[in-house]
Amino acid sequence: MKSIKYITGCLALCVVFMTSCKKDFLSLTSTDKISNASILSDTSLFEAYVINRYIGVKLQDKEDDDTGFGRGFQWALWSSLTDESIYNNNDNTWVIQQGQLAPNNLGDAGTIWARSYRGIRECNYALSVINGLPLSAGHKNKLIGELEFIRAFRYQDLIRNYGGIVLMGDKVTELTDNLQDPSLFNRASITESITYASSQLDDAASRLPVDNSSSWALGRATKGAALALKSRLLLYAASPLYNAGTWQAAAAAAKAVMDLGKYSLFQGGYGQLFLTPNSNEIIFERLFYPVTAAHLPIELDNGPNSYGGYGGNVPLQNMVDAYPMSNGKSITDPASGYDSQNPYVNRDPRFYATILYNGAPYRDNVVQVFLPGGKDSNQGPNPQNASKTGYYLRKFANDAYSITNSSEAGAQPWIYFRYAEILLNYAEAQNEAVGPDASVYQAINAIRQRSSVNMPALSGLSQDDMRTAIRNERRIELAFEEHRFYDVRRWKIAEQTENVPAYGIAVGINAANPSGYSYAQKVALTGRAFQPQHYWLPIPLTEIQASNGQLKQNPFYTN
Amino acid sequence: MELNLHVKDSPHWKRSPRFFLLIASIAIACLITCQMPSVAFANGSKVLGAQDVKISGKVTDEKGETLPGVSVTLKGTSTGVVTDINGKFSLNVADASLGTLVFTYIGYVTQEVPLKGQTTINVQLQADSKSLNEVVVVGYGTQKKATLTGSISVVKGGDLAKSPQPNVSSSFAGRVPGLIASNGSGEPGYDGSNISIRGLATTGSNSVLIVVDGIPGQIGGLERLDPNDIESVSVLKDASAAVYGNRAANGVILITTKHGKTGKAAISYNFNEGFSSPTRLPKLADAPTYAQILNDISYYDNPAGGFNQAYSADQIQKFRDGSDPINYPNTNWEKLTLKNYALQNQQNVTVAGGSDDVKYYTSVGITSQDGIFKNGATKYNQYNFRANIDATVAKGFKIGLSLQGREEDRKFPTTSAANNFRGIYRGYPTTAAFYPNGLPTVGFDNTNPAVTPTSAGGTTSNPTQTFNGILKASYDIPGVEGLSLDGFFSADKTGVFNKTFNTPYTVYTYNSATNIYTPSTQGGSNGRPYLYESQLNQALITSNIKLNFVRQLGKNNINAFVAYEQSQNTYNFFWAQRNNFPTATTPELSQGGSAPSDATNGGSSSDNNGNYNYNRRSVISRLAYNYDEKYLLEAQFRADGSSLFAQGHQWGYFPSISAGYRISKENWFHDKVKFIDDLKIRASYGVLGDDNIAPYQYINNYTFNNSVVLDNGSGATPQPGIDLTKLANPNITWETAKKTDIGINAVFLKNFTFEGIYFRQVRSNILAYRTSVPGSSGIVNPYDVTKPLVPAENIGKVNSAGFEATLGYNHPGTFSWGVSGNFTYAKSKIIYIDEAPGVLSYQRQTGNPLNTYLLYQATGIFRSQAQLNNTPHVPGAQVGDLIYADVNNDGQITAADQERSKYGNIPQITYGLNLTAAYKNFDLSVLFAGQAEVSQYVLPESGVIGNFYSSWANNAWSPSNPNGSYPKVSDRASSAVSGGLYNSTFWLNDASFLRLKNVQLGYTLSAQMLSRLHIKGLRIFVSGFNLLTFTKVKDYDPEGTNGSGQFGGAQYGSGQFYPQQKIINLGANIKF
Repeated sequence: MKSIKYITGCLALCVVFMTSCKKDFLSLTSTDKISNASILSDTSLFEAYVINRYIGVKLQDKEDDDTGFGRGFQWALWSSLTDESIYNNNDNTWVIQQGQLAPNNLGDAGTIWARSYRGIRECNYALSVINGLPLSAGHKNKLIGELEFIRAFRYQDLIRNYGGIVLMGDKVTELTDNLQDPSLFNRASITESITYASSQLDDAASRLPVDNSSSWALGRATKGAALALKSRLLLYAASPLYNAGTWQAAAAAAKAVMDLGKYSLFQGGYGQLFLTPNSNEIIFERLFYPVTAAHLPIELDNGPNSYGGYGGNVPLQNMVDAYPMSNGKSITDPASGYDSQNPYVNRDPRFYATILYNGAPYRDNVVQVFLPGGKDSNQGPNPQNASKTGYYLRKFANDAYSITNSSEAGAQPWIYFRYAEILLNYAEAQNEAVGPDASVYQAINAIRQRSSVNMPALSGLSQDDMRTAIRNERRIELAFEEHRFYDVRRWKIAEQTENVPAYGIAVGINAANPSGYSYAQKVALTGRAFQPQHYWLPIPLTEIQASNGQLKQNPFYTN
Repeated sequence: MELNLHVKDSPHWKRSPRFFLLIASIAIACLITCQMPSVAFANGSKVLGAQDVKISGKVTDEKGETLPGVSVTLKGTSTGVVTDINGKFSLNVADASLGTLVFTYIGYVTQEVPLKGQTTINVQLQADSKSLNEVVVVGYGTQKKATLTGSISVVKGGDLAKSPQPNVSSSFAGRVPGLIASNGSGEPGYDGSNISIRGLATTGSNSVLIVVDGIPGQIGGLERLDPNDIESVSVLKDASAAVYGNRAANGVILITTKHGKTGKAAISYNFNEGFSSPTRLPKLADAPTYAQILNDISYYDNPAGGFNQAYSADQIQKFRDGSDPINYPNTNWEKLTLKNYALQNQQNVTVAGGSDDVKYYTSVGITSQDGIFKNGATKYNQYNFRANIDATVAKGFKIGLSLQGREEDRKFPTTSAANNFRGIYRGYPTTAAFYPNGLPTVGFDNTNPAVTPTSAGGTTSNPTQTFNGILKASYDIPGVEGLSLDGFFSADKTGVFNKTFNTPYTVYTYNSATNIYTPSTQGGSNGRPYLYESQLNQALITSNIKLNFVRQLGKNNINAFVAYEQSQNTYNFFWAQRNNFPTATTPELSQGGSAPSDATNGGSSSDNNGNYNYNRRSVISRLAYNYDEKYLLEAQFRADGSSLFAQGHQWGYFPSISAGYRISKENWFHDKVKFIDDLKIRASYGVLGDDNIAPYQYINNYTFNNSVVLDNGSGATPQPGIDLTKLANPNITWETAKKTDIGINAVFLKNFTFEGIYFRQVRSNILAYRTSVPGSSGIVNPYDVTKPLVPAENIGKVNSAGFEATLGYNHPGTFSWGVSGNFTYAKSKIIYIDEAPGVLSYQRQTGNPLNTYLLYQATGIFRSQAQLNNTPHVPGAQVGDLIYADVNNDGQITAADQERSKYGNIPQITYGLNLTAAYKNFDLSVLFAGQAEVSQYVLPESGVIGNFYSSWANNAWSPSNPNGSYPKVSDRASSAVSGGLYNSTFWLNDASFLRLKNVQLGYTLSAQMLSRLHIKGLRIFVSGFNLLTFTKVKDYDPEGTNGSGQFGGAQYGSGQFYPQQKIINLGANIKF
């Protein structure tokens, strides 16, 4: 009996012993998270935090996990909210194209508000702690400039979409703060907003290096990036919708970039420009890396259906018609030589680098959107992926990437600022400020006459004609690069351009025509509409509700 | 498990299931051999020598009817027999003056008769008035049902085993008042039901704690237990669960597995062969109908193009008459891809028995289920064994060892079941699956659902091994009567391995002009195979020591304990992938592509669901006291410490108290109210907790996200980058539930039982994520709702209340029958949830039940342009679109016109009806289960992007069908004015149903016939699962909590999932 007691005692002791010896049994340490303390003491970890401010968080379906500024190479391009293209698969873009954009129906334009402020807070946090880190003065100066640049970019994104916005200064809002505080909801005027962002960019420009280098790698902001952003900001500010700055200031801001003497137009081909991450034309860009840090495979997303593509962002006839003939004349000009039944000959070379049309050579084949039977029509394979417009997007596509297998794809850079934009900014601002002087011609003709484009030089235009020319040049040169949406608004022409139906082309077979095909304009997407309130995006209803009505909605929207 | 690990490490791991079965079979065969002599010679004689005395007699029931099949044993020996068809028995004993005969029969009180020299013993057994003497498993102990003060429902394992659905979680529906089991998928291996107790009570996790054989949260859970191994299930619904403190708030399900009983080996073999098929599949539009729909859509998009933009009338006719199958096929994807039924098979062998000192229960089971896809790769196989050994080592010192091992082999195609069904529902009927020459087509959206469910694109094999071991000991401390010490140490381990080999395959595109079939490659990556392997290991170590005091002092009964328990839960996960395999014949990581970028890997100390390592410590106690089993009182207290929270917030305290009064024990009542046999009123109140939340929320979380690419001159390279992913909430702690129950239990007119319970729960400190934080603060949650930037905060408050009632009647006799019905009403009300201050009062969730929908009110369809012009409508609305009510009468349809639905996706009413009957050798059991006051939103993924349900296709408004009852078709329902753009009540269904959940009809062969075969019993039966459903829902199965999470988010489903199954089953049970 004694032995049993002994055994029992042992058993009990074992259990007690096992359980009581570990005093810190309830204190576990995470092995996959970095603590605040590490960020604040280890400069390489701090810099890793700063670097990630170039990207933002995914806030809705069909958006990248690590979206950059703007929309970039996501499923539906930003161009598909304009007269450049429609997104064949909708994905919340038609709601905007069809004029249904409202505070509770934001389509894919609903995330800019929150993402920008999240980015601003993250920058503010880094700026609030940077002085405590053991960084060299020179490097710290650059990091401050970088954070100011990123923050200003976020503000610029807010301003161009919402107008006057809430300025946060250096504040880092905490969860324990009063989240009904009016300072979170008081919208500054558009002038105040631009002034703030512009002064931040001045400061950033003074801190950032002019060149990327081994210690300031390509992809990080430089002085040129800050000045380019300022140029765009002040151009917008001077525009009719904003009326918050002068054309002189806008021209000077563009000139400041030109005067750096660092940038030039890429002469290796217009199409190649968008596949080449290292060129003197690029002022600021986002780089990608296959598989692990790639964007979506745009060859697959936008490619024609017979190639296995999804035919996503498909250009509109509206855009196609904007390309002049290679003689420089608009297709509406009777002297242009344009033949509506053979429409794709002798057009501006940028047309061929941007758009795939019926008969366009693509890879080892030609695109066929004709009916009946065209392989890239809805009688080809995967008819749901056939373009509704009769066009497919060529721009950005890298023919070296496989369409259906994407492990190499998705590595093209997304260019935020390139020199051509600065020249166009300058030409527009200078033309408005003083009229078409020689410097205006010089800027716009440099773009038109670069190798691979070789369009006739402009000459002898009135200020108004020059304005028209610059606007069309901008539309073509910067097509699908997230400019048109903002340009038609700031010029206040959206009520015209965005109320035009979304046209496509119906292609039939007609041996009598020189092209062998017949072409007829068709409506690709019904109900295209734009109302006056749509000059600015609506602030999301959830934000108005979170502010309990303190945050003022943009004009003409019903909450 | 040792065994399994060995096998898995060997290159022949695939053979492990068979190997494991073999070993288990050998073990069982050994046991059988050991016991066989006594089986073989049970009716014989020569066991104890020549001077044997023959004892015989007859066993009857209280009415004098003979009882066959009663077990008669000589106490303390393995000598025993079973009464024959006439209730007679005879057996030989060594000495008629010594020993005691034990008569046991299910449903009757066991009787012991000392021999005292008698050779003829006639016995009358008394029916067990089970509701009074039954012992119920409760948290950390057992209790007499009569003296229970908590709301605890019990299900017998035998009842669960009646369901031919092998997933135990799917066998509860209708059987337990207050328990909602909602089955959302019939996919083999993932066919479990979502269980909640008394509806939803919190915005946080509503998951119920599963305790198996005393181990809280035992790894492996409930779903995959072999139903044959389950002795009983107790469902703790009220404060009685407070004894599980930190995880008890959502209720606790206690599962007790079977143990051996004294007696010679009872060997039982169960065999089930089932035929399963979808309960219902939506009828889909055929090719001519769909071609017409495409014409309609084109017309709506571009009226100028006319009515035949997609197909001419001639072409539509070709779809209809099948005259040109190569160019104008008419494909019924459901018929083409799905079998009429899938086979499933369950077998189980049990050997149990023992002496007074050592008892054993061993079993081995095998389950296999096929998928419903034709030539599909889906397959589920399960192999499990269990050994529960109890031994008395010395007087007062007992040990018990429970071992369970299980292998769950899941095999799938590389396309998920949900995506395969998505392919079937979306697939164009105008597209063929195969050309007439047999070549597979590209299908729809590069998916051919006739090919993707097969192994053509590779397979995923996903074996999971689970081992549970429990060593228990108890010791009666000498010197103090009633004082004992017990404890256990348990080790659970599971390994989940995944191996996905994704292989390319060829499909074809036919060009009718050139008559050429162009091949193209699908699957794989870069046209090459790739391989993904992962392993998740999880372990749970639990130890417990407990001091008990159980004693009767006169009429005072005391039952008390105090215990200490701790547990440690660990996770390890890693994965590796290799791309660009030169050949599909070498599916091994070592044989993949040679480029450095072809090999990738990852891992973490968590599972895929965000569960991390955590530790718990607990002090648990209970004092139960009753006086004469009349006045009942019970108090429980638990202190729980959890590593999930910061120091200072780790400990929670969970007291509960309950009391009961058995009026029927009063003499005055007993004398005056004769028709009531037993009457008890009772009440309970307690504080329970819930901590089902991700850890480390008390600190700021920064994590690496290497997505920014920079080029420092030596090429573009992803950079180490860090994001803030979680803000700290240093005060995070328990969620608290305060539960009150008032109940009444009665037995009246002998055969009626009744239970009625009113319950209410106040759930506070609910761990919720703030959603109203303004964006301008910069505190912005990402799209992935499972990873909010804000931490969980103890802010929510939900009240819930309701009642349960159960009424049963049992009719004894030759034709015995019983009926039992249960009904539960449970309604939640949100008292506080974080909502933006500007949300309109009538759109607030606050004040409403959980999980309601915010929807526009569809009141009809615009029939004319004039009507459209004169009625407020959303932008873009056209004739044929839904009319939405202008709720606030402001002349326009805006967000303010949405209203909250009355019901959410969890039923407020659930009920069950259980009928049993037995006549002669037949027995029948029928179970109905139903739900009401529940809504489900399903908007099918229809349009140019997918086919339509026939109900919509045939009834859609169109210029040629101006009276259609469905809105006009469009490119994409998900973004249409009448669809997902303005989610409306049109797509919300009343998901009430009444369902014939379970039927079993059995026939027991006569014992006489069988005795010659040395078979003690043979019962054959047919059973069914989900046989009939009565519901208003037209196109899909109304069970399940949402239409599907695949598209449109969790709340707005598209009805794409592996459908629930109907099963018809044939089975036999043989006892040796």
